[in-house]
Amino acid sequence: MAGSLSDLRIVETCGPIGHYAGRLLADLGADVIKVEPPRGDPARRYAPFLPGVEAPENGLQFILLNANKRSVTLDLERPEERALFLRLIASADVLLDSWQPHESARLGLTEAALLAAKPDLVRTSITGWGLSGPHADWAYADIVAQAASGVMTLAGFPDGPPEQIADHQGHRAASIDAAAGTIAALLHHDATGEGQRVEVSAQEALSMAQETAMMFADINGIDRQRTGGTGGLAIRIPGIGLYAAADGWVYMLAAGTAGSGFQGVLATMDTLGYQSDLREEPWATFILESMNRALLLQAMADPEQALALARKLEHIESVVVDCFTRYPKRDLYEIGQQHRLLIGMVSTPEDISTSPQLNARDWFVEIDDPGRGRRLRYPGPPWQLRGTPATLRRPAPLLGEHTAEVLTEIGVAAGEARAFAGRRA
Amino acid sequence: MTTSGDAREQVAARPRALDGVKVLDLTWFGAGPIGMRTIANLGADVIRVETQKRPDGLRIAPPRPVGNASLNVGGYFNNFNAEKRSITIDLTTERGHELGIELVKWADLFMTNMTGRAVRQIGMTWEALHDANPGIIAMYQPMQGMTGPHAEFAGFGAVLSTICGVNYLSGFAANDPVGVGTNYPDYVVNPIHAVIALLAALRHKRRTGEGQLIDMSQLESSVAAFSGPVFAWDNARVEHERIGNRVPYAAPHGAFRCADTAARPDRWLVLACLDDAQWERCATACGHPEWSVDPRFATLAERKRNEDALEATLAAWAEAQDGAETVARLQAAAVPAALVLSASEVLADEHLGARGYFVYLDHAEAGRRAYDGSGFQLSKTPVELRRAAPLIGEHTWEIASDVLGLSPDEIGTLIAEQVLY
Repeated sequence: MAGSLSDLRIVETCGPIGHYAGRLLADLGADVIKVEPPRGDPARRYAPFLPGVEAPENGLQFILLNANKRSVTLDLERPEERALFLRLIASADVLLDSWQPHESARLGLTEAALLAAKPDLVRTSITGWGLSGPHADWAYADIVAQAASGVMTLAGFPDGPPEQIADHQGHRAASIDAAAGTIAALLHHDATGEGQRVEVSAQEALSMAQETAMMFADINGIDRQRTGGTGGLAIRIPGIGLYAAADGWVYMLAAGTAGSGFQGVLATMDTLGYQSDLREEPWATFILESMNRALLLQAMADPEQALALARKLEHIESVVVDCFTRYPKRDLYEIGQQHRLLIGMVSTPEDISTSPQLNARDWFVEIDDPGRGRRLRYPGPPWQLRGTPATLRRPAPLLGEHTAEVLTEIGVAAGEARAFAGRRA
Repeated sequence: MTTSGDAREQVAARPRALDGVKVLDLTWFGAGPIGMRTIANLGADVIRVETQKRPDGLRIAPPRPVGNASLNVGGYFNNFNAEKRSITIDLTTERGHELGIELVKWADLFMTNMTGRAVRQIGMTWEALHDANPGIIAMYQPMQGMTGPHAEFAGFGAVLSTICGVNYLSGFAANDPVGVGTNYPDYVVNPIHAVIALLAALRHKRRTGEGQLIDMSQLESSVAAFSGPVFAWDNARVEHERIGNRVPYAAPHGAFRCADTAARPDRWLVLACLDDAQWERCATACGHPEWSVDPRFATLAERKRNEDALEATLAAWAEAQDGAETVARLQAAAVPAALVLSASEVLADEHLGARGYFVYLDHAEAGRRAYDGSGFQLSKTPVELRRAAPLIGEHTWEIASDVLGLSPDEIGTLIAEQVLY
């Protein structure tokens, strides 16, 4: 089955901010040609590394996000190579770039120059700050978008620093929005033949991920703070939050309104074979009647009830803590879920790699990477399109691996293309 | 994006990329509705089916004006449902289900993020949809996908965040993996991944006439956006270190506390130096050019080796600095830096303001409120919010009449019988 974008050629000249955008579009079938400077994309040299492989072919982050692409090296600082670049653009449907305004001006690769080469180009610009506004030329790094979008202030503990979200979520959010915007622009191009600019700012792309914080500020004039995972609750309610397991952690939301609530915790303990007094009186009745977050918070507001209630909750909590620390996280998770408890295990990379669910769905894909002498295991795509599935067709390119091939495709004589690529190597 | 009345009428005439596309939206809570909002802002007619019997939890959730219990004023729901139309139908009734299937026949795209169990209860399985409308594109987005041993597992974003790795991967080793303060995958990762797949499927449908089933596991979508550490584990047995605000390939890279002011306690900035040249400029901009020639800090390899000392040096210096002034100085030297902004500071940010990111829309009950703009802009077919979020059932009468073709008498009866409810 062909992918939904199999007829398209996309040129990608992005730094790390746009790698995932190109990868998503390539997974949907597009021929994505990565144009790199002669020294290579900087992410080729980012740790961690694939052992036994030489730089610049060993950067794992690069290998992950650039599979399914071809690589051409062009020195865009040189006029004759810029001309080749514009010929490549003329042959393409889409350009993904991450040039800030001062960079495209310096290179002479302004939108006017690009459109002269390809009047109906879909040009997708992916930058930290967008192409307009007073910060358009500000320097960008992933963590900077996380700070300026309002996302970072929400993560961490009250007495510690704001925390970034792992694995480059500024880059990721910008790339995801860029891929969506690019396909929207392609739909318009299919219908009318007209190209256009798609513009993404990482600061804006991440802003939506403030959850309710923007609306709290707008409606109530309150800035949400980082709470270290307590959600601002002053008391610990048994069954809500993070619990240590024998080999890690689980998180659960019992005593709320959805799922089986605290009864699900008791049922899980029964299945595990853990004996406690919570099935006996007075606990059984108390749990049945009172272990509901809304009721508990209401009761705790009354100082006369609060102290007695706090003692009861403390006992229940101690039983849960004692039970959970005895069992593996995966057992607590899977048995809890069988009892319709809203519970998840805190997965490490190894847990994800060995997940029974992901593996039952054949989500991971293996592919030979002859250039690196390896068979590599890749995480799968974000969706299963049953009619036009995403595919992993080729490993991440070696630097300039396809220079001669692609130059030939745009009409450079084969001998000349080989000679050009040879000089580069 | 513009919001003044006259300007809005002018842009309302401009074509959008999904003009004429018809969408049946059976999503709720966070991840589903945001994707459908984006589709609406691209120009599609998105009909959201709700029921008074069991309103979307986001209609009940805060934030909301103090003391106002209306289902129509919650900021959480309204931000993420702008420009949709809302019809109330109790799909668990026989007649309600028939009307739901009529909407399936009308639609080009369908999406739900309900569990498989809930989908079966309302009779909106892929088989039922495909029978009614063989060309439909239908996306199901349960937490763990439509197949596999955990297909029926239940949970909200907070549960998903633990399972998909966000919580373990983020934060410092000294702290428990409590998460990132939000149900992060719900807001961009899952909804906009969903938009990509729906638009790709729409392109295929326009070229071939074929619809398709999209099985979107929120778990797979989330892991795909946090794939670096699992890829490194699988192929190089790299143990993930919980390194907080650091990255393996740059230093300094972190958050530093600046001088508090009465107006703004808890003032932090972030900065990142990805190479030696940036670090040299950073040291100079900080007024300490000697840092970049200090042998402990002279090269990236040395800075990584001495990262604790490097951060302590920067932290001690930053404490006495004004945050905004320091960020301006670093940025003037082309060093990536920014203030850690609070939500109210993001709303008031001069750069976002100049770009018109936030949109202010009038709403019959909630008044004039801020809405997030689109995460991507299109120059010729704008992505824009042309209406605020719907009141629950606001468009029941018009959809029942214009789309379902019911007479006023029939509509009145169905409302009274709590089918259109």
